[in-house]
Amino acid sequence: MKETWMSIKRAPFQSLAIFLILFFTVFLSTLIFIGLTFLYSFLNYIETRPQVTVYFQNTASTEQIFRLRDELTQSGKILSIKYISKEEAFNIYKNMNKDNPLLLEMVSSDILPASLEIYAKKPIFLPQIAEYLKKQPGVDEVIFQKDIISKLVTATNTIRMITIFFFSFLIIMTTIILFVIFSFKIALKKEEIHLLQLIGATKNYVRSPFLKEASFFGFFSSLISFFIIIIAVLYFEPFLQSYLRGIDSLSLNLVFYNLNIWPMNYYFLIVTFIISSLFSILIATIASYLAINKYLD
Amino acid sequence: MISFDQVTKKFPLGNVALEKISFDIEENEFVFLVGPSGAGKTTIIKLITKEINPTSGTIIVDNFDISDKKFNQQIQLRRKIGIVFQDFKIIQDKNVFENIAISLKVINSSVKKIKEEVRMMLKFVNLTEKEKVFPVQLSAGELQRVAIARALIGDRKIILADEPTGNLDPKTAWEIMKIFKKIEGKKTIIFATHNTDIVNSLKKRVIVLKNGKIFKDLRKGGYEL
Repeated sequence: MKETWMSIKRAPFQSLAIFLILFFTVFLSTLIFIGLTFLYSFLNYIETRPQVTVYFQNTASTEQIFRLRDELTQSGKILSIKYISKEEAFNIYKNMNKDNPLLLEMVSSDILPASLEIYAKKPIFLPQIAEYLKKQPGVDEVIFQKDIISKLVTATNTIRMITIFFFSFLIIMTTIILFVIFSFKIALKKEEIHLLQLIGATKNYVRSPFLKEASFFGFFSSLISFFIIIIAVLYFEPFLQSYLRGIDSLSLNLVFYNLNIWPMNYYFLIVTFIISSLFSILIATIASYLAINKYLD
Repeated sequence: MISFDQVTKKFPLGNVALEKISFDIEENEFVFLVGPSGAGKTTIIKLITKEINPTSGTIIVDNFDISDKKFNQQIQLRRKIGIVFQDFKIIQDKNVFENIAISLKVINSSVKKIKEEVRMMLKFVNLTEKEKVFPVQLSAGELQRVAIARALIGDRKIILADEPTGNLDPKTAWEIMKIFKKIEGKKTIIFATHNTDIVNSLKKRVIVLKNGKIFKDLRKGGYEL
C-alpha cells in the first residue's frame, strides 16, 4: 500500500488520468449492466405472464375444454396450461372488485367465461397456438401478446448487439489508454526496474508493484462509481416505483440461482458491486501487465 | 570464479568494445580494472552480469557458462553479484533502510532476516544513525556507502564496482576504499576505476585495458597506461 501511495505521489496527473478513465469505463459499464439486467428481468416477467388466453362460450362443456387442453399439452409447444373455471373467474372478479359492491351485485358466475391461460415454450409458437385455438368449436375469444413479446425480443436483441459492440469498443479503448499511461509510469521507474533486474529480481517481483497499483485503481474507481450509482438509484427509485406499478418483483434466472432485481435490494447491489469491481480490477491489471511486459521484454 | 576466454564483443554498429580478451579471477581476489574511457571496463562488467552477451568466446562466472546461448539462470547468477555504480543508483523515494533491504527482498528473505542483516550492514558502512533518512538528505559519500551496503548484503560472492569513486572528492573516495578494504579477501571484487592514487597505493592485481584489449595484467601493479 505504501509503494502504491508513493507511486501515486510520484506521478499525480498520470494517476488521476488512470482513475478518470477507469471511473468513466466502470461507471458506464455498471449502468449498462444494471440496464440490461432490468431489461432481461422485464422480458422474463413478460414471458411469465399468460401468453395466450382463450375464453370459451357458455355453451362449451368442461370435457370439450379439457380435451383441447390435452391436445395442446401433447403438441410439445406448451410450457404450461392453467384452466380457470367460471367459478374461479368469478372469485378472481370478486377479489378484484371487493371494494365496489355495485359491480359485484351486477355479475354472477354464469356471465364470466371459463378460460385457459397458456404459456408457450417459445414466443414463435404463439401465433400457431392462437390460430389453432381460433378454429376450435366453443372458443369465444383468443387474446395473445404477440406484438408485445416479439417487439421486446427484437428490442432486447438489438440492445444486446449494440451493447456488445459498445462494450468491446469501451474495453479496447480503455485498455489502450491505460496501457499508454502505465507505460509512462513504468518509464519513470526505469532506473529502479533496471536495478532490480541487476540484483536478481524475478519478472514477477518487478511486475508486482505495478499490478498492485493497477488493482488499487481498479477497486477505487469501481467504489466511487458505485457510490454515485447508488445515489442515482435512490434518487430515481420513486420514479421507477411509479413506472413499474403493478409489477411486484423482477428477477433474472441465472444458471444456479434466481437473482432478484426489483424491488431494489442489497443482494443485487452487492452482486453489481462485485462484478463491476472485478471488471475494473481485471481491465486495469491487464493493461498494466501488458505495459510492464512490453518494457521487460 | 570468473573466467574470460577469447571474449570478443562487437556492437551492432560495428564498433569493437572487447577483442579476444582472456583472464581468470580467483575466488575472493581483488582486481582493479583500469583504462581510459571506452577501453572496455564497463563492457566487462555488463558481460559478467549478463546485461549483454559476448559476440564470441566463453565466460564462466561461479561455474555458470553465461556465454552459452541456452543459459537461462540469469536470476540465480545475478543473486550472487552485488553492483556499485558511479552514479549510486539509489531509489529516491525509499529511505536508507529500504534501499539496502531491496537486495534481500528480491530473494524473498523473511522480514526478521531483513531487519537483522540491514542493521548489521548499516553498522558496517557506518550509517546506523541514517536508517530512516531519505537519499535527498545524504551526501555523495553517504549515498555511495548505501550503494555498497546494498551490494554486499545477501551473501553476494562477487562485487562489481563500476567507477564507484568517480563522483567523489578524494577524501570521500578514500573512505569508500576503506570499506572495500574491510571486505577484501572475503568476496571477489572487480573494481573499475580511473583513480591513480587508489590503484597505486593498494598494490592489488591490475588489469589494464586499452582499445578493447588487455594491455597489461599486473599481479601487484600500479596504474599504468
